[in-house]
Amino acid sequence: MLRRILLPSIFLILAYGFWISPDFKVISAGVAIFLFGMLSLEEGFKSFTGGLLERLLRRTTDKLWKSLAFGAVSTTFMQSSSLVSVITISFLSAGLLDLGAGIGIIFGANLGTTTGAWLVAGFGLKVKIAAYAMPMLVFGVILVFQKSKALKGVGYILAGMGFLFLGIAYMKDGFDTFKDTLDLSQFAIPGLTGLLIYTLIGIAATVIMQSSHATLVITITALAAGQVTYENALALAIGANVGTTITAILGSLSANVEGKRLAGAHLIFNVITGTIAIVMIKPFAASVDVISGIIGIAADDYTLKLAVFHTLFNLTGVIVMLPFVGRLVTFLNRTFKAKAKHISEPRYLTESAMEFPDTAVKAVRNETLHIYENGRDIIAASLYLRPADLVDDIDLGMRVKEPVHGSPLDIDSAYETRVKPLFNAVIAFISQSTFGWDQHQSADLHWLRDANRHLVEAIKGTKHLQKNLALYVRGDNPYIRDEYNQLRLQIANVLRALEQMRGEEDSDVAILALDNIKAELEQNDVAFSDRLYELIRENRITPQMGTSLMNDNGYAYDIQRDLITMATTLLSGPEPELAHAQRKLTLDEDEMAEALDESDNKEAPGTPPGKMDGV
Amino acid sequence: MKTRKLLDKLVAYLDGDARKHKQERDDLKAVLKKLKQREKKLLNRLEDEKNSDRRKALKSEIDIIHAQRKKGVRLLKSE
Repeated sequence: MLRRILLPSIFLILAYGFWISPDFKVISAGVAIFLFGMLSLEEGFKSFTGGLLERLLRRTTDKLWKSLAFGAVSTTFMQSSSLVSVITISFLSAGLLDLGAGIGIIFGANLGTTTGAWLVAGFGLKVKIAAYAMPMLVFGVILVFQKSKALKGVGYILAGMGFLFLGIAYMKDGFDTFKDTLDLSQFAIPGLTGLLIYTLIGIAATVIMQSSHATLVITITALAAGQVTYENALALAIGANVGTTITAILGSLSANVEGKRLAGAHLIFNVITGTIAIVMIKPFAASVDVISGIIGIAADDYTLKLAVFHTLFNLTGVIVMLPFVGRLVTFLNRTFKAKAKHISEPRYLTESAMEFPDTAVKAVRNETLHIYENGRDIIAASLYLRPADLVDDIDLGMRVKEPVHGSPLDIDSAYETRVKPLFNAVIAFISQSTFGWDQHQSADLHWLRDANRHLVEAIKGTKHLQKNLALYVRGDNPYIRDEYNQLRLQIANVLRALEQMRGEEDSDVAILALDNIKAELEQNDVAFSDRLYELIRENRITPQMGTSLMNDNGYAYDIQRDLITMATTLLSGPEPELAHAQRKLTLDEDEMAEALDESDNKEAPGTPPGKMDGV
Repeated sequence: MKTRKLLDKLVAYLDGDARKHKQERDDLKAVLKKLKQREKKLLNRLEDEKNSDRRKALKSEIDIIHAQRKKGVRLLKSE
């Protein structure tokens, strides 16, 4: 109901304002142009997220101080703490960041956003900013029409900055002429009441415009024109700081629990910082005077003094809150509990992860890993093994020789409940994401879809294998039982090797390590053929058994092949950039055979291979 | 001369293909370095290994890594 009347009410109030005051129209147009500039800037930065942000985040968020610096620098650069917090929530939802790092970035963003006040107060009001805006807009718009994604991105950023400058200029002009018709400073409220009321106005303005930057710019331009008192301007700045959390809160509505926790951290930080600023407004104001005196800001330069105040109270907030990040994480984890997800529910495919191409690809990768875990358990169970058998340090050779118990797993039903819904969700997620994908991102998605397909093929192969396997592993003929146990062992060994690769520290060359598993697979296949004919020749097994075994060995071979191919995409190590280089070095069948032949022809095992010059 | 050099560098930077090619070479070199380290590690492990089955498995892994490195060096030289 409120939402239904809110928009028409705002329209009516604005229309009435425009009718009675042309200056109000100019100021509002300035705000609108400024906000449009922010949108354009966001669009521009989004086009640079193709891998760059992911790489940056991975390298710059392993320590709290680095996350803090990342938040401060990126917000200074992008001039939008809201964009940084929405990006952080998306990356957190997609599993690219942990909560501690996310909190560090948010704290840093609060520091970074204070540079905005400095820019506007120190530069925007001191020079004819509109003169800079015009060429930026012209060059920006020309670049926006270019085909290259990078140039288009630069175009959006330039145009965005142009609009920001133009917006500031309009607001400044509007306030300058406005004071001749209406003196807003007559509404100044001194004391605590004024502090609280103007803080609330700052919150409301920021919530409506969803930009603390816009509130600050209006405040600074109004302050420069004498339309608002310095004391009330301080309160507006505090309000803007608290109100800015609305963007993160709205962004987290479509995020998973991690995103909600981060929005919670943002709200807690900004409310506490705001409270500290309100309670200690007098000491803060006094400190601002002292600092301004030291750095040479004139006593009556209230706009720059506001910038000092903004920086000072945000810095105090960071200093006060930093030692409590660990406790904050614990508190948020306890408050926002992850809903126990059913095994067939997607864990990473959230709307929030769909915000950026990088996060979307990461979410699909993580979800595919989830599908793999479910698929791995199905395959293990159909081989009469527990998932723990693949991880624990037990002798799998002995384990498969133990008598099997229980009825065979209903693979169809397990597939329908534990794999298919997730696979469907991945396909739906990819189809819903309508980005201008970068070449490497669409290639990643293609390979991830392919990895899912190979996993499904492996599960189907297990179903084919299961019929005879269930019969012969319980049968009386020890020879055929051994052969089927051998097939179980081979598949289990591949699954175990993949599990080890997932946890291995130097998995930077994981894809290449798969060549070794492939080599084993080929060697096992050759050894199997030799054994099979020998078993039939010596009447250990019947020819019928031999035919079944031959077919089932084919299924087992395909299952392992599918798992290895899937892993080539899925377990490509922490540095995706190196995955492409690794794929170039994987050995084809001939190269593999040559390598193994050379190995057999060496005089003594353990002779080191010849030296290689260069690399 | 210096300006010329600077301009060449700028052109090379702006040329997306050349930049991509250099990045790919660097990635390949990084992978080869990691492979070399892994091969060395496995060779050390092989020296201490007494079990013949495990020795055989290690040796085959080392040979595969060596073949991969050879392929990589060939690729680097041909580019």
